Amino acid sequence: MTRDGSLIRVSGLTREYRMGAETVHALRGVDMEIYRNEYVAIMGPSGSGKSTLMNIIGCLDTCTVGEYWLNGVEVSGVGDDELARIRNQEIGFVFQTFNLLPRATALHNVELPLIYAGVSAKIRRRCAAQALERVGLADRMQHRPNELSGGQRQRVAIARGLVNEPSILLADEPTGNLDSTTSAEIMGVFDGLHQQGQTVVMVTHERDIAARARRVITLLDGRVHSDTVREAA
Amino acid sequence: MLDRPSAEPPGVAGDRGGAVKFVNFAEGAGMAVAAIRSQKLRSALTILGIIIGVATVMAMASIVHGIRSQIFNTLEVVGPTTFRILRFFSSTPLNPDALPREVRIRPVLRRREADAIERLPEIHYSSIWVGVFERLEYEGVRSQLTVVYGADERFMEVLGGAIISGRTFTPTEVRTGTGVVILEREAAEKVFGQVNPLRRVMRVGGRAFRVIGLYRKPENIFQPPGQEISAIVPFEAARHAFRYDETQSLLILVKPRDGVTVDAAMDAATLQLRRMRGLRPGDPNTFDMITSDQILNVFNQLTGVFFLVMIVLSSVALMVGGIGVMAIMMVSVTSRTREIGVRKAMGATRREILWQFLIESATLTFAGGAVGIAVGLGAGQVLNGVLRFDTGVPIWSAVVATGISIGIGLVFGLLPANRAARLDPVEALRYE
Repeated sequence: MTRDGSLIRVSGLTREYRMGAETVHALRGVDMEIYRNEYVAIMGPSGSGKSTLMNIIGCLDTCTVGEYWLNGVEVSGVGDDELARIRNQEIGFVFQTFNLLPRATALHNVELPLIYAGVSAKIRRRCAAQALERVGLADRMQHRPNELSGGQRQRVAIARGLVNEPSILLADEPTGNLDSTTSAEIMGVFDGLHQQGQTVVMVTHERDIAARARRVITLLDGRVHSDTVREAA
Repeated sequence: MLDRPSAEPPGVAGDRGGAVKFVNFAEGAGMAVAAIRSQKLRSALTILGIIIGVATVMAMASIVHGIRSQIFNTLEVVGPTTFRILRFFSSTPLNPDALPREVRIRPVLRRREADAIERLPEIHYSSIWVGVFERLEYEGVRSQLTVVYGADERFMEVLGGAIISGRTFTPTEVRTGTGVVILEREAAEKVFGQVNPLRRVMRVGGRAFRVIGLYRKPENIFQPPGQEISAIVPFEAARHAFRYDETQSLLILVKPRDGVTVDAAMDAATLQLRRMRGLRPGDPNTFDMITSDQILNVFNQLTGVFFLVMIVLSSVALMVGGIGVMAIMMVSVTSRTREIGVRKAMGATRREILWQFLIESATLTFAGGAVGIAVGLGAGQVLNGVLRFDTGVPIWSAVVATGISIGIGLVFGLLPANRAARLDPVEALRYE
């Protein structure tokens, strides 16, 4: 059914919201397939449905109509608890606003997905420390978010996204709150992760950020407008 | 910089069983402690109601326990076999000027009745006493109203304690009602100060009495505040010198002989009294007999009511405290909407979020309960110290108080926690 290596396959994806008496059509039938080890940027103007698509791919939201297969499993139509489990096992999130727990140390923030995976404290700490080392923050583990720079916070968030060894790293405007130097640094981290084999899906509206991805999918009015694969340099 | 981790992938899909609950519990408790620490004042105010409620219960438990242990001690000292005969037994005071008919038809207790009971082979001691409230006075120093007994020379058989200097009454003094008095040591100090009271003439209830002995009451016996025994005079002297109430002030104290059961002694005394009063078989008794157990029961009923009232009052405080906790938890959930979104994105289920907030609110109220227990015990200690009771609190009351405070956290945390659990992750992550 799915080609070997296909990680995400959506077809006829439709999402409608009721806003009072009006119905908002956020997605009007999206079909696409993302393969293992791909580095995909999803672009589009605001209101194009990219956030909605992102939420559905991230199993935070479900579609009104359509099919979503993740890693060979049909996700559309599963219950809340199962969605939570899929998020925990398959998805690593990186947000524009970092979304770290302010009172927790970097290490504890990174441990969070492992807590919900039921991993014991000892293993949790070791894995979280390794994830922080991977993003170059080995010396900042006991710092709280307010003691870290924006770039460091986003690195903590990336480490948190990676710690469960997810199938997809899902980044939503990961450089939106960073200056250009730091943005370049963070994009470097993503490039490095992709080179190590991590599948990365990134939502952005910045053309130069999207340009670093191998493949750019552009949404417009809830439909796929273009889907271009850049030849490897 | 970017090295692959050497560890095995930690996310094991089937590993979300019992371990999750403990891991999650630790996370919830840790979160709670962090939240309480970051909002010290708010947390303190939130749990104030819980503290007050629990402290009230604990202080009451401590006092009631103090009184109870004192009563048991008294019974232990005086002998649990002593029983008393009354004209009419009532746990509430009667108005002597408006006695009910059922009381008025009963004859007043007589000294010869007590003497007749004492002649029975089952009885070791039987004597009529009168208890009144009078002031002691010596050279212008006056005491408060205190308990003065009119009794006989063997009053220690019932009261315990000992004569520490001087002597007890002679049988002649008791029979004739001579104006002599035995003073309780502490009461004597209050009116005599440094003066040795022996052989001095003082006033008891305005009448002249000569001090012939000093009496020391047993340690740790129960005397309701304001009812400490201060003096004992011969029964006939008291009867002539003081005004007393024939129903509530007169009593016959009876102690069975060793080896005779209380029931057997009571039966014998009952028969003797009925015979003396000419009661026919089938006539009701015209007197009441109460044992130490019954006194204890009455006390238990009284403290039970007292306790119940305090529990009702403190449950109001606990309710108010619980509502406070609920309100603060609501605020906490709202202000941490984003955090909840993040946790959900990281894979927390509804149940896990629910439990985390329940644990947080239970931790809050548990802290309140712990402080309340400490405050209540402290207050109880101080009060018991002032009232000179034995201190000490049954361990179950602390356990119950802890349980109740945790329970309140769970009950009143349910609504906010449920609200947190039901948050839509997309909405929660977007929340500003």
